[in-house]
Amino acid sequence: MALEILLNIKDLQKSYTKGSPVLKIDELSIEKGKTTAVVGESGSGKTTLMRLIAGLESPDKGSIISQGKIYTNEKYLLPPNKRHIGMVFQDHALFPHLTVFKNLAYGLPDQNNSKEAIRELLNLVALDGLENRYPHELSGGQQQRVALARALAQKPKILILDEPFSNLDVSLKIQLRDEIFTILKKTNITTLFITHDMNDAKYIADEIVVLKDGQMIQKGGINVLYNKPSNLYIASLFSEIIVLNLSILECFNFTTQKQKVYAIRNQDFVLNSDAEYQTEGTLLNSKYQGTHYLNTIKISNQYTFKLSTQQILKGTVKIGFFESDLLVFDHQQA
Amino acid sequence: MILWDGNNILIQIHSLISFLINNIRRDINRWSIYTIVLIFLLAIPIITIGFKLFLGPGESWNHLVENVLLEYSFHTVILSIGCIILTAALGVSSAWIVSRYEIPISGSLEWMLILPLAIPSYITAYAYAGIFDYGGVLSQVLGLKNFKIDIMNIYGLIFVLSVSLFPYVYLSTRAVFLYQSNRLIEASKLLGASEIKTFFRVVLPMARPAIIGGLFLVIMEVLNDYGAAKYFGISTFTTGIFRSWFSLAEPSTAIYLSSLLLLIVFTLMFLERKQRGNKSFSDNLEEKVRLPKIHVSKPRLVVLSCLILIPISLGFIIPLIQLLIWGFLTYSNVFTASFFSIAMESVGIAMMTGFITLFCALLILYFPQWNRLILLKKSSKIAIIGYAIPGAIIAIGVMIPSLALDKWLIKIANELFNNHLGLLLNGTIIILIYAYVIRFMAVAFNPLEAGQLKISKQLSESSQLSGKGRIRTFLKVDYPLLKTSMLSAFILVFVDIMKELPLTLILKPYNVNTLAVKAYEYASDELILESSIPSLCIIFSGMIPIILLNKLILK
Repeated sequence: MALEILLNIKDLQKSYTKGSPVLKIDELSIEKGKTTAVVGESGSGKTTLMRLIAGLESPDKGSIISQGKIYTNEKYLLPPNKRHIGMVFQDHALFPHLTVFKNLAYGLPDQNNSKEAIRELLNLVALDGLENRYPHELSGGQQQRVALARALAQKPKILILDEPFSNLDVSLKIQLRDEIFTILKKTNITTLFITHDMNDAKYIADEIVVLKDGQMIQKGGINVLYNKPSNLYIASLFSEIIVLNLSILECFNFTTQKQKVYAIRNQDFVLNSDAEYQTEGTLLNSKYQGTHYLNTIKISNQYTFKLSTQQILKGTVKIGFFESDLLVFDHQQA
Repeated sequence: MILWDGNNILIQIHSLISFLINNIRRDINRWSIYTIVLIFLLAIPIITIGFKLFLGPGESWNHLVENVLLEYSFHTVILSIGCIILTAALGVSSAWIVSRYEIPISGSLEWMLILPLAIPSYITAYAYAGIFDYGGVLSQVLGLKNFKIDIMNIYGLIFVLSVSLFPYVYLSTRAVFLYQSNRLIEASKLLGASEIKTFFRVVLPMARPAIIGGLFLVIMEVLNDYGAAKYFGISTFTTGIFRSWFSLAEPSTAIYLSSLLLLIVFTLMFLERKQRGNKSFSDNLEEKVRLPKIHVSKPRLVVLSCLILIPISLGFIIPLIQLLIWGFLTYSNVFTASFFSIAMESVGIAMMTGFITLFCALLILYFPQWNRLILLKKSSKIAIIGYAIPGAIIAIGVMIPSLALDKWLIKIANELFNNHLGLLLNGTIIILIYAYVIRFMAVAFNPLEAGQLKISKQLSESSQLSGKGRIRTFLKVDYPLLKTSMLSAFILVFVDIMKELPLTLILKPYNVNTLAVKAYEYASDELILESSIPSLCIIFSGMIPIILLNKLILK
């Protein structure tokens, strides 16, 4: 069954200073009912993309169309209040002069007849009984849940979550991430999740869009991005990558192809057991890190690697890898 | 070899123009149109006066150039330089003392140092002229009947304007001193510098933009002054404009003088902006933390307290006491039914204009933001330029187009209805209020802008994404959060209008009077004692709302 496309973006471009676009996307489509994470470092253009979709900025070029309805193109710009987009801002943006109840009821046409719906939403985000509190009387996590409930209250076509966990401490973040994941699955709402943290994206998203320097460099499910990263940058988003140059690979007796760049994930090195390609290394030191040992190993008296193991290593070490674990890119791709 | 490809360049220019036109066509909305209309309405006097500069002066211009222009220029320059030196000394020293040293009543002193602004400079001038005159307070204190110090000269005017206007420098500088980086001061001291050396080598250079910003306001007020200069008999550009307009009946010369003064104002504005440039005068190493105060010994405390009490006394306490004495002597003559009606008219005009200015300032703040054309995003800065332009110039700049409009309306009425109309706009309260709005737009705009900056932009974005339009978003989100700033804006405009003199003198309808004009009329008629009552009314009408506002903000 073909998936329904909810949002179609074409030739989108935005620049704040002449001649240097902060965002340039040739084509991007968002599927209905899915959670799509937009991942990138700061300055990659992810916030600009979100603001353009929401109508908070106007693009220089390009179009955004949702199921035949033009959000923006060269000649037309639909204002944000007519796009049916819900957004959870990084700093929650709760109205400080309104109670939780009134914040939730804010976008609803008939507030008196919406009491039941608001109660249900409060229940969904586990905030029953807090409807008469003001935002400053809530904890950071509670504020985040109110912001989510407020965005969901209008039953938007698309929900945008803008770095929702960036202001929270780690334990709260993990708890809230679980809760949000459950809520998104329950409501089956199309979600755009903006984040710089691949771990959050991996956890919540069905699909991931990676942005770098304003351009989309890969889009796909977690399997595609992990197993077939289009370049070293994407591979490095998941774990530490070691680039293996030709001389290193020669130490392992691996025959290389011209114009290729080889890399391997740190955890894919095999220590002291048989591997397809292997060599001997000298253990320089091994430091206990609490959950594992961090070993510094030298091969051919010139290349050092820092590898983790669960057991303590001693003396000479066998180090190797399987060809299938190698990440191979064309020179230009890398 | 590069070949000149004319066609290709033409195609590129054409595509760029069509791209721009498409974007403008797409991004223009009703707010863009309203912004353009508003900016135009508020810029009319500047456009008019600027335009007149190119048309050349009137017949008496040559006479003016040969006989008085040099004197106007010389006095204006000397006055400006003198006021710069004296206000900088009074403003900076008092700001540093209250921000740096532990003085028991510094909380009260901090706001008392603002009080000289409650007394219009022309009223301070009347008070000091009386104090130093024969039989004045000074001669009585000294017990010498025929003793007088003649302060009715340019140095006296410098003194009077400086003690009235130094709070502008004090306010802008104190804001910087309060949050001056303590780390830099400590670093300077660890490098061996004394407190005084640290002040001159570190603190003062870092506060330079704020000091110059304050001094810029002082110069603008000096250029705007008419009442004090006229009373002291000093010819300046502004008194020259009045003289050409009223005495010589040469409006075109007055307009030309105004254009020249406007040129000076714009040059000063340009220089002020340029000096700020992109230089960083702030230390970004730490969050905004108040500078810790230094504990001082008792003898030093006495000296520092005196140093603060001197400008407060000169700018506020002494003139106020003089006015109170005069008021006590003359209140029975002045308090008549007609005086009360003038007072009520004054308050009524100030309140009405306060509301209109507040409303217009809100439009000027929000319309450019709601419009989507980048070109108009920062256009509100043009609309608030009126505060830098002397009142006399604005008055003339408003009068010329309104007269032209009146003539046109009369002609139309004659042709269409055979109806002989009188002037519809000129000489009415509408034109006076219009001019006030232009002059005091910045006074209302600045607190509103500051208040809006404290409201997260995401609140209004969030409201829009909830389906609310711009106006409903304003009413439901911005308005409740902006109430205190709106009240501040209203009060500040109200106080300024109560004090305003030159613009009111030119534009007020003949059957309308204000307290400021009444005080000026008494002083011009040598009824200086009587002028104290309207002056005191202006001072108290300014002080009461400011004290109330101060309490409201502190709550």
